[in-house]
Amino acid sequence: MTIDPVTASVIHGALETITIEMGHKLMRMAHSSIIRESEDFGAAIVDAAGDGLAESPQSTPLQSGPIPGYIRGMHKILAARGESVGPDDVIMHNDPYTGGSHGPDVAFIVPVVVDGAIVAYSATTAHHLDIGASSPGSCGIVDAVDAYAEGLQFKAIKVVEDGKKNAMVWHMLRDNIRAPDLVVGDIEAQIAASRIGARRVEALIARHGLAKFEAACAALKDRAEAMMRAAIEKVPDGTYRAETKIDGFEGDPERSELPLVVTITVAGDALTVDLEGTAPQVPDRPINMPYEGTVDIAIWLTIRSILLDTAVEGHIPVNAGLVRPITIKAPKGCLANPIFPAPTIARFAPGNQLADTVMKALSQAVPGRVSAGIGNLKVIAFSGLSGETHWVHMEIFEGSYGGRDGMDGMDAVDTLFANTRNNPIEDIESHLPLRVSRYELRRESGGAGKWRGGLGAVREFEFLADGGFAIEGEGHVFRPWGFAGGAQGLPAAVTAHRRDGSTASLPSKVPYGIAKTGDRFVMTGPIGGGYGEAAARDPQRVAEDVKDGYLSVADARRTYRVALTPTGEIDAAETAALRRA
Amino acid sequence: MHLIGVDVGGTFTDIVLFDTATGTSVIHKVATTPDDPSRGVVEGILAICAANGLAPAQVANVRHGTTVATNAVLEHDGAVAGLITTGGYRDIIHIGRHQRPQHYSIRQEIPWQDRALVKRRHRIDVPERLVPPKGEVLVPLDEEAVREAARTLGAMGVEAIAIGFLFSYLNPVHEKRAKEIVAEELPGVFVTTSAEVSPQFREFERFTTAAMNAFIGPKVKTYISRLEARLAENGLDAHLHVMTSAGGVATPAMIAEKPVLTLLSGPAAGVLGGALTGAASGRDKLITFDVGGTSADIALVVEGAFLEASARDTAIGGFPVMVPMIDIATIGAGGGSIAHTDAGGAFKVGPRSAGARPGPAAYGHGGTEPTVTDANVVLGRLDPDNFLGGAMALDAEAATRAVAGLAQKLGLDTEAAAGGIVTLINANMANAILSRTVQRGIDPREFALVAFGGAGPLHGAEVAAQLDIPVVIVPPHPGITSAVGLLTTDLRYDAVRTAFQLSSALDIPWLNATLDAMAGEIAAQFEADGILPADVSFARSGDLRYAGQGYELKIPLPAAALDDAAVAAVLDEFHARHRTEYGHSFEGTPVEIVNVKVSGSAKVPAIQTSEPAPAAPGPLAEAEVARRRCVFRTADGLVGAPTPFLRRDRLPLDTPFEGPAIVLQTDTTTVVPPGWSAVQEAAGNLVLTKG
Repeated sequence: MTIDPVTASVIHGALETITIEMGHKLMRMAHSSIIRESEDFGAAIVDAAGDGLAESPQSTPLQSGPIPGYIRGMHKILAARGESVGPDDVIMHNDPYTGGSHGPDVAFIVPVVVDGAIVAYSATTAHHLDIGASSPGSCGIVDAVDAYAEGLQFKAIKVVEDGKKNAMVWHMLRDNIRAPDLVVGDIEAQIAASRIGARRVEALIARHGLAKFEAACAALKDRAEAMMRAAIEKVPDGTYRAETKIDGFEGDPERSELPLVVTITVAGDALTVDLEGTAPQVPDRPINMPYEGTVDIAIWLTIRSILLDTAVEGHIPVNAGLVRPITIKAPKGCLANPIFPAPTIARFAPGNQLADTVMKALSQAVPGRVSAGIGNLKVIAFSGLSGETHWVHMEIFEGSYGGRDGMDGMDAVDTLFANTRNNPIEDIESHLPLRVSRYELRRESGGAGKWRGGLGAVREFEFLADGGFAIEGEGHVFRPWGFAGGAQGLPAAVTAHRRDGSTASLPSKVPYGIAKTGDRFVMTGPIGGGYGEAAARDPQRVAEDVKDGYLSVADARRTYRVALTPTGEIDAAETAALRRA
Repeated sequence: MHLIGVDVGGTFTDIVLFDTATGTSVIHKVATTPDDPSRGVVEGILAICAANGLAPAQVANVRHGTTVATNAVLEHDGAVAGLITTGGYRDIIHIGRHQRPQHYSIRQEIPWQDRALVKRRHRIDVPERLVPPKGEVLVPLDEEAVREAARTLGAMGVEAIAIGFLFSYLNPVHEKRAKEIVAEELPGVFVTTSAEVSPQFREFERFTTAAMNAFIGPKVKTYISRLEARLAENGLDAHLHVMTSAGGVATPAMIAEKPVLTLLSGPAAGVLGGALTGAASGRDKLITFDVGGTSADIALVVEGAFLEASARDTAIGGFPVMVPMIDIATIGAGGGSIAHTDAGGAFKVGPRSAGARPGPAAYGHGGTEPTVTDANVVLGRLDPDNFLGGAMALDAEAATRAVAGLAQKLGLDTEAAAGGIVTLINANMANAILSRTVQRGIDPREFALVAFGGAGPLHGAEVAAQLDIPVVIVPPHPGITSAVGLLTTDLRYDAVRTAFQLSSALDIPWLNATLDAMAGEIAAQFEADGILPADVSFARSGDLRYAGQGYELKIPLPAAALDDAAVAAVLDEFHARHRTEYGHSFEGTPVEIVNVKVSGSAKVPAIQTSEPAPAAPGPLAEAEVARRRCVFRTADGLVGAPTPFLRRDRLPLDTPFEGPAIVLQTDTTTVVPPGWSAVQEAAGNLVLTKG
């Protein structure tokens, strides 16, 4: 069936409206801050074959993007077991080896049913506070030795079957998850939001008829594909290779300083991303990245953020068509394509480093559209007991962007594949035995360039009761890359100031450990790389940076070769002389 | 008694004069004077008085809607502002929530970093720290440091200072003391504190609200005093009140102190005008639909009450602003919205707009891209010779050329492309209404759509049809609904306190004492305004959520003191609201009372109804000025039909007629599609009914 462009756009708009509603309701109903404040959740409509049709614009990119993969993974597992989805089932899935992004990101999938047949799926994903791993919280489980140590594995589990809640599954969930009230509340919110999406799509199909709906979906995928092909076509043909390194486990020779290698080949309107050269998997530490669910998403979203930048191009529809022109290859058994049961739960920061490496490769092809190297992120689990109940709080620590052509880097934000929110200090301290005793921009300057790197933030947490602490991050060892003569940025750091007066610098990965009342942890965020030569920076901008306290007078002179008078004005003659030298 | 409503828009300043003795109103428009809007305001008032034989001194009340604050934010043209904040937290308003506004963009800007309300050099932190739960002092305020900061900022030429300390919503003592010190050091500088403007938790949002208040403060204060002086000079000793975003009016003194309350003053007045329109037709469940050249504002009115936006959803120019606002959804859809194909070839309309210049191709100012207005011209609905009462000729050929270009790309004929443009813009608007109704458990079929603004009546019926809304109401003067709305407002003040109390451990005496204290503050404010206590009414409410959640629902609280039974009823109401709003509730989970709120309102003289329509005893045929082919989308696709063009001021009263028809008036065009009928009511409204 052919579809007229007007009806296709009407149906497309309706699908987007549905995903907005799903995301809106999930985030407002959710109980734990990782979903409702950090917005670490996803919502999407996927067709019966597992092609994404639309995703919630509120969700963080790493959540909605993988949903189609979850659906395909669910089908694969059910088929292998000789089972199938019933129209009144709700399926729970989190398996990182069949589409899941990593264990804590659990999907709840509700079929869209027309005349008794499943024609599509409505699904939400969300990062859960705890998934029953070896230590409290679902991040910082950096010592998990295999997939079993990471917590519960849900492989296409029917939590509702034929419209009836499978009570035994729910009992098992409650018994194996810390903070079960919050987590089960979040699960209920997810199911409610997925159901709303399914009912809305059913109403949409009733209005237009299934044939028209399917034709419209085919058209919208074709158009998104055409849009991406047109964008790739504009990129000069060629092969662009980049390499960066992740910290891994500092001080452990076999598990540290691991290379990520990206080779992008652009040929006409298609693009191939090959990860050959990337380090082999780490079989007994969870920094391996699920090939489907993390690696693919990191690559797709970086390419689209650069080639179809929404600040430049406006609204871009998100569906399966957008990724058709992109082929991904990664050798089996490498960090980016691990073999079961290699653990993957801490794939967050390595995945974002992969995204940065993709940008580094593309920087050679489209230098005006990238930023210099980004500063990577970390997530920390704070936990403790109050009576027999756990409290768990997960906080994501921001990075920063490198400089851009004509713009400095963004300061103190999540980077590339994450875009979560911090928790208000006034919320944290009102509800948890924690104090946020400092939160401001980092004071050192770094990432010098014609367009300088964004600044990281310094955030300090103090325990007001005994508890526990675990870190999962990257970017303590390697500095964000400079571009076109720009300086490298500065790495991130964590320092522990113990109540007993001792101080220690911590690596980017710290498994669960005890924190005592009065212990303080200072998290210093990274500074992004510089773009272009520092000496080419407009002296006026340098003077402004000095006024704003981003730069000292001495740094202005040494790094930027700008001479300032004691009142902070530019000494033009001396600046010219410095810059000639 | 004579009341005047005056609403300043981008192009025109609209004035309505209402005589409470006769129940009649007259309207007037003058050009807005952007350099000093008070000039146009006073000129307009004097002109409407002169035209109606009224001495300025006879005007009792002037209600004013202003965009001075809004424009200062949107154009980033405010004061050099400073911020004094808690030591160690200098950059809260720069870091924000550490989230980028756009997920998939490298080259985006971040408003609070790229267009900071307070530059970092003007942010000084001082030793001081309060802690929850009651705002206990952990670090005492270093008064010398505040004094030093004030001097430093003064020396840097700062014109306004915001003070934002952590947890000040629990205990404002440090902020108050700092304000006193700054006032001593820098007399004449505008000073504001975060707990004064918005005593609620969430430091980034509260500090930003205070910083915005400082940023726009001097400008608004100057404007208000200039306006008061100009009114007085011209013999206008009327009470002046200014419209707030929450749908009430406040005194000039209050607005000069908290200009941040006026950021959505114009759209809020439009909602009130829409409510008045609905009431004149006996309707109290309304969707107001205000469509102009670039955007559509949509709001709900239920039994005369407006929905208040959640504090987490209120923003302007990309900055969060935590002050009470009517819940208005704005989308980029209007007469100037441009139709195009995206890079993948999909058919899209908006959000980019041709604006007023060059405007739609049909305006003949050089626009070549096809807009919604051009599509309406191609479909015959806008008569090139009778647009806006013939005040502006439309270039139909230019409109056709613009649409034909797009049609070719889409492989459609020109008429089909024009029909597509109108269908898609209508679908965009219908989706925005869906998100405010169906998605929140509200059935739009029980509502009437009040369509106004230049383009609202052109699209109202077709948008309503998509949502099965059976009735569309077009007010007598759709172009000045905001000015009329100003005359319906009450004087209103709002107070809020963060409570953070769990239902499992409520401190009921504290809640009662806090609510009483807030009501007392509001009562004192009314007393200062010279309002009698008997004329004041209070409404109490709470922002509630399940323990752990981050978003609250506003639930009414009883006027009397809370006790266990009253609390139980409030919790029941919360569970029910949560079910309606989200389709689910968590009955076993403890509920947290996050904020308690009191709003006080005092009746001030108001306009009674819309203006009655002039009697037009002639038959319908005499209203017809032309008959042309117009194109409509029906179940059979696009269909052309001969359509009468009727002058609204000649429509016979209370005499229904069938669509298709086009109703013309000086400030808008109303489309009555096939399958709809319409009637000009004696009370003034044009009412369209499906079927």
